[in-house]
Amino acid sequence: MAQVRKKKVAVVQCFGGCGSGVNKAEAHIDGGCAGLQEKYQNDVQGCAWGCLGGGSCVEACRLNAIHINDRGTAEVDWEKCVGCGLCVKACPRNLIRITTPEYPIYPACVSEDPGPQTRKVCQAGCIACGICVKNCPADAIRIENNHAVIDEEKCIACGMCAVKCPRGVVRDYNGIFTVREEQVR
Amino acid sequence: MGKKYCFTVNGIERCTDQDKPLLRYLRDDLHLHSVKDGCSEGACGTCTIIVDGKAVKSCVLTTRLAVGHNIITTEGLSEAEKEAFVYAFGAKGSVQCGFCIPGMVMAGKALIDRVPDPTEEQIRTALRGNICRCTGYKKIIEGIQLAAAILRGDEKIEESLEEGDVYGVGKRAFRVDVREKVLGYGEYPDDVEMEGMVYASAVRSKYPRAKVLDIDMSKALELPGVLAVLTAEDVPNNKVGHLQQDWDVMIAKGSVTRCVGDAICLVVAETREILEKAKKLVKISYEELKPVTSIAEAMAENAPKVHSKGNLCQSRHVTRGDAKKAIANSKYVVTQKYTTPFTEHAFLEPECAVAFPYKDGIKVLSTDQGVYDTRHEISIMLGWEPERIVVENKLVGGGFGGKEDVSAQHIAALAALKVQRPVKVVFSRQESINFHPKRHAMEGTFTLGCDENGIFTGLDCEIYFDTGAYASLCGPVLERACTHSVGPYCYQNTDIRGFGYYTNNPPAGAFRGFGVCQSEFALESNINLLAEKVGISPWEIRYRNAIEPGKVLPNGQIADCSTALKETLLAVKDAYESNPGRAGIACAMKNAGVGVGLPDKGRAKLIVHNGKVELYSAASDIGQGCATVFIQMVAETTGLGRNQIINMGANSEIAPDSGTTSGSRQTLITGEAVRMAAADLDRDLKEAGGDLTKLEGKEYFAEFFDPTDKLGADVPNPKSHVAYGFATHVVILDDDGRVKEVYAAHDSGKVVNPIAIQGQIEGGVLMGLGYALTEDFPLKDSVPQAKYGTLGLMRSTQIPDIHAIYVEKEELLPFAYGAKGIGEIATIPTAPAAQGAYYAMDHVLRTKLPMENTYYSKKKETEKSS
Repeated sequence: MAQVRKKKVAVVQCFGGCGSGVNKAEAHIDGGCAGLQEKYQNDVQGCAWGCLGGGSCVEACRLNAIHINDRGTAEVDWEKCVGCGLCVKACPRNLIRITTPEYPIYPACVSEDPGPQTRKVCQAGCIACGICVKNCPADAIRIENNHAVIDEEKCIACGMCAVKCPRGVVRDYNGIFTVREEQVR
Repeated sequence: MGKKYCFTVNGIERCTDQDKPLLRYLRDDLHLHSVKDGCSEGACGTCTIIVDGKAVKSCVLTTRLAVGHNIITTEGLSEAEKEAFVYAFGAKGSVQCGFCIPGMVMAGKALIDRVPDPTEEQIRTALRGNICRCTGYKKIIEGIQLAAAILRGDEKIEESLEEGDVYGVGKRAFRVDVREKVLGYGEYPDDVEMEGMVYASAVRSKYPRAKVLDIDMSKALELPGVLAVLTAEDVPNNKVGHLQQDWDVMIAKGSVTRCVGDAICLVVAETREILEKAKKLVKISYEELKPVTSIAEAMAENAPKVHSKGNLCQSRHVTRGDAKKAIANSKYVVTQKYTTPFTEHAFLEPECAVAFPYKDGIKVLSTDQGVYDTRHEISIMLGWEPERIVVENKLVGGGFGGKEDVSAQHIAALAALKVQRPVKVVFSRQESINFHPKRHAMEGTFTLGCDENGIFTGLDCEIYFDTGAYASLCGPVLERACTHSVGPYCYQNTDIRGFGYYTNNPPAGAFRGFGVCQSEFALESNINLLAEKVGISPWEIRYRNAIEPGKVLPNGQIADCSTALKETLLAVKDAYESNPGRAGIACAMKNAGVGVGLPDKGRAKLIVHNGKVELYSAASDIGQGCATVFIQMVAETTGLGRNQIINMGANSEIAPDSGTTSGSRQTLITGEAVRMAAADLDRDLKEAGGDLTKLEGKEYFAEFFDPTDKLGADVPNPKSHVAYGFATHVVILDDDGRVKEVYAAHDSGKVVNPIAIQGQIEGGVLMGLGYALTEDFPLKDSVPQAKYGTLGLMRSTQIPDIHAIYVEKEELLPFAYGAKGIGEIATIPTAPAAQGAYYAMDHVLRTKLPMENTYYSKKKETEKSS
């Protein structure tokens, strides 16, 4: 039987919960995300970790597989994405990760700020409460640097963490366990 | 008020205003019973359904989250899909206990819909969230490949296979339970719904060892819908136990608990929801006591007594010849200590029973390994004549030894008698893990000697078993560990001491291998060390010592004509020798039948009714396939086809007692009884010119009993067992230390069903690999720490290439067409063979299971340190 190459895809680890999508989208500035980062000195809407919405990844993508969504964050279209990694390089905040479509469940926050601070500035930021850790049947999720991290070696993509997350940080790309952004509107 | 949550299920729009797990909605409200509840934690995959084209676990999804989505269950497959999966899974032998199967079908369908021609790799990935404990996944993967090919039009359904006109011994038999298990309409006890049925569940101890000071049930009783709360005072005789009645049905006020699985009271309520609430309202006050957590603590002089008679539960001394002298005079001697862990059976179907008042007593719908055993235990508890209790097995979703003791059955009976209504008791997965007996943890010291040619001279060993809180089957399991610690070789000096101690750990009892997995791991590891000293290969030392027909086993039994250990060694010789430094080898033997002088009888009754042959024999098919095997025996004897023979199942009211599904005995012991009855039928059938209708109403009963000698019988060559199966496994590693291939050669006598045996062997091997490498049962102060998903059960993405080989000899035993069964032995030699492979690779002797410092453990270790 022919070996089929495993499809890879990119995933943006921010859900844009700071509610400033519109502002961000307006904040066009020369130099894309890097420029934004410089201008706001690492602190856009109080978060030094999330998507800047400047679209550097959109520009970098040759397949038109990323766009800035209504929440002002980058979102990948897995139908088009081939996981080449150009967007990963373009993101000054190292928010984009390469995975495979078998792992549609992903924590959409990499904030290393303490929970209370994250809670103040973002509706969808990980506050490191550990509910996902407690509910994971496979011991595949842990809290590291104040946010949830999935170990894909152990993950069986059951979606339990996404269902139990009180803040909607852990997302299901397929939009089954959590509602997908583009399906909301 | 309009219903809030609407979604489509199998093409029909459904709405509910309850927010609950979708699994519960599909099972309880829509009665879609193909959606199985194996854990309700997202770990096992038995409840897999398809949502918008993706395979999803319905226990994770909720009705609220399902809004607007399109859901398909097995019931909603198209006719073409149903037929493709039934045929493919039947033809490939993908179905054993069947509890994981509808989930596997759905995961397979979701993949096929996306990728019509999936690779093996893609199928493995698609199944990685679905656990199968029976097949080792390979047959399921092959089944999905064939189903895909049929749906593409590349393969055709061969209808004659399922029809089974040719269904005799050795023929490719399409198992009788394939269709109902694949499509999910076959009933396990949890699928039973009865008019007026209510639910019961036990409140279990918070501590492994604590004095129960008070049980306050007043708040629970006040809750509307709560029917009763029973305590030890409500139990006529508060003791059960498979052999030793040392197991309290409930721990009485003022008594001390023995493990966290202990029941303190039993709540009965109208619904599952009320039941869960009521259980939380029961207030139990304890005086916490320090538990006995290990064999060493149990042996200590001032140890608290887990049971009043003391902590030594069972002991055995098996001896023959003069081991001390033989070892002293040996050229080479090896002494080594070995440690093995508790192992959880992890059958996919948690314990469940439905009981209801019936005639002048009670009837219990069960999932167990012997309906007469269950009847016996309940009769002891109630103090009744056994006949007043009827036990009938529904489908059994795996047992592996873990369903020999009563678990849910007796408390369901108790509750049903109290409230005079049908009562269902179903264990949660964690309750199952905490309650039922495990494989015994062992500490053993083994001394084996040999001469300059590597010929074994004598064995001295001491085996310590942790039997946890209750005896369960400690006696016979310890005994088999002792009698089989010698291995399938020829030497005559043995001194084996075995001890089983009570602790406050979860109980230990029967588990596929029945003590032999532990002792043969130790023995086979020692053999490799001796081979090294002698300067011959591990294969060679085994071949030189291997038992052959006519030679005498270390227990004195003369090996019968069917013995084919050497043939299994030869079958794997090339595989072993062509992988130097990467291969390990081990042999094993396992008794078929209980033996040792016990009245181990097989019974069967055939009745000609409505032009068909009805087969009555209470022998539990726990997934291994004996229900099919018996029909094959009738078919072979009479020439009838599968559709003319009906297995009426294991029901103590109508079928004669044919013993426990234990000791790899059903194929041989019950199989021979069936053959005998069928031979009588055949005689009449021939007289009637082959016209079955002329025999309408006739009955044929047969009992098979081949006497054996009890342990230590004073005869020169005691016959311990009716038969032994033999096997040799070779485990081959890749350069990273991952198991790449396993060659498993088996002598199980005549192979009854070539379709089924492959999956039996592969599943046994994978279970053995789990034992060797990944499975553990960590305890913290006697409390189990593992969840179903963290037991270390191998998943589809981890399986090596398993080559199941069976050697069939011309010379066979005169019973059951020469079949010896395959039940347990498939899981025995794998762990020592894996150990031998690592030893060959890095020369580090790993004496503890699961093995440390392997590819599999390293991953865990790096995680911990990171």
